[in-house]
Amino acid sequence: MEQSGTSALLQGAVQDLASGVVSALRGGGHPRVVLPADTGGAAGELALAAVRVLGADAMLPSVLLRTPPDPAEAAVFRKAVEAHPPRPDAALSVRWSHWGMARTLRRIDPSSPAGPPDEPGTGALDEADWQSLTRQLAVLAPLALPGEDCAVSRAAVRRPVDVARGFVRAVRRRDWRQAAGAGRWLTLLPGVPDTLGLVSGLDFVELMGGQDPLVALHVQAARLMRTGAPV
Amino acid sequence: MTAPDGAGDVRGVAEDALAWVDARRAGFALGEDALSADGEVDRSWKPLGELAQVCATVTRRTARSDPLHARARALLDFAWRETEEGELLLRLQRLEPFATYPLEVYASLAAAGFRHPAFEAAAAVVAGTRGWRLTEQDPTRRLGVRCAEERCGIRPRGQAPPAPRGTWLGGLPEPWTFERAAGYALTHVVFHLTDWGRADDALPPDLARYLADWLPPWLDTCLDAGMWDLAAELLAVAATLPRPTDDTVPPDAWRRLGAARDPSGAIREVGREDGDGEVGDPARYFAHHYHSTLLAAFAAVLTTARPAGRPAGPRHGGQGAPA
Amino acid sequence: MRSDQKVLEELTAIQAADIEAALDPAETDGVYRDSRECAALALAGGSGGLLLSPPAPRPKKG
Repeated sequence: MEQSGTSALLQGAVQDLASGVVSALRGGGHPRVVLPADTGGAAGELALAAVRVLGADAMLPSVLLRTPPDPAEAAVFRKAVEAHPPRPDAALSVRWSHWGMARTLRRIDPSSPAGPPDEPGTGALDEADWQSLTRQLAVLAPLALPGEDCAVSRAAVRRPVDVARGFVRAVRRRDWRQAAGAGRWLTLLPGVPDTLGLVSGLDFVELMGGQDPLVALHVQAARLMRTGAPV
Repeated sequence: MTAPDGAGDVRGVAEDALAWVDARRAGFALGEDALSADGEVDRSWKPLGELAQVCATVTRRTARSDPLHARARALLDFAWRETEEGELLLRLQRLEPFATYPLEVYASLAAAGFRHPAFEAAAAVVAGTRGWRLTEQDPTRRLGVRCAEERCGIRPRGQAPPAPRGTWLGGLPEPWTFERAAGYALTHVVFHLTDWGRADDALPPDLARYLADWLPPWLDTCLDAGMWDLAAELLAVAATLPRPTDDTVPPDAWRRLGAARDPSGAIREVGREDGDGEVGDPARYFAHHYHSTLLAAFAAVLTTARPAGRPAGPRHGGQGAPA
Repeated sequence: MRSDQKVLEELTAIQAADIEAALDPAETDGVYRDSRECAALALAGGSGGLLLSPPAPRPKKG
């Protein structure tokens, strides 16, 4: 498909955005504008698309560091949510990604309706084997936030050993994105076996895969969540 | 428990594997350089010892009426004859008195009921030395030697079973540090502790729990990587766990291992056949298949020998998707 | 300029399909690499591996 050029462009934009988020997360509380203000024209469309793909994590610094979001950033975030709703036949992960953004939007934007948006179903997530469960959770790592509950997180909470197994599998396969996403979930789950060694596991994933900003993002998020960064 | 078709997979692997081994028993023969200084132990004593070890377990874990039992028994008799009823081991011990492998091989035959008192007496003389106890070797190997000593009555059985001190597995390490070398070490610690699957409930509870937790990703990725030999060893480990393996062995593991079988019934150590095949280069084929095929038979027999109907019970709120 | 026009056209082609594909990625193939042995460091030399498994190291193919 001729998509390869555009999807590479999009991937690049997503990674640039993710790098900004990582810097903000490492910066420790200094307000830092990550999202581009200018959303006009073709470049703006690319930026909005990148925000959509990064999803709720586009606002992660403000959420995890508990700093009020920059109003212009919030506006860009809202624009990305509204410009890219899931298509009718969209995969479950696409719906949940959008749902996660809508949930974040309601937290940061007082003009939003109160209460969480309607959840998509979880499909066959509960019946999924541990490999598939972990893969899907990792894709939905932006939903992994302390104190936040939804059907996806409940599915994860029910199966900490399985998610831990998925983490081990991802590391062995050198799939650093999946490992980082799984590690981020594991930070929140009770019942993870002690022998996993999650803390050094996250260090290892960052060592091996941290040149990828998406890997660094999930690892840094996990660290902040572990130390109990207030939400 | 495993679905009926899964059980068929397992039995099929055992039968094909042991049939292949039996038909190629000449490959396990000791050969003329078994005692020469420049003979390769890895090509002579090692395969014979492995054959004996696996067959000792097969005979122990199958009913007398089972054709597998008879085949394994015949192979054990063959192996003992190869050692000239133990005489060659005694000669070997005189030639290399400080080597540990003669005792290790002897112990695998002793597990099947064969004894050579003069060999044991000779081995005991050396085993009483500081030098022997301090032999430089991997902790896992040392554990194996210690177990061999106990099995042959050279070292009295202690009150506590030998501990896997200093081994990778014994330290319950982060499971994501697993790789090939660690994998082979861990399987051997389990084999030594469980007397190659012949002892029941021989694993300390924390070790058993650790293995039950982490065998699934190790198994899944070894199969994915085409590491059939190590996968077979891990399946054998799973079969020695005290708890049911519904949760521990991925449901498609035996199908995947079975799919790696050659038409000959053998299973390659790693990957896909890439040489001239068995007909084109029998020696090379044997070298690349004997070990994994033996261990597949071993794992399959241990798996089918597990008592059916042990209560599963939920653990950690029922981990693992329903079968 | 012509080249700018081309770039803009490319950029506006970001489709919903691109976005959704990025949000629903397939799993990549596993990459497996194990530590190699350094035979020179093995005390017993050549056949210094564990007896009774793992399989003995093979000579490299020509």
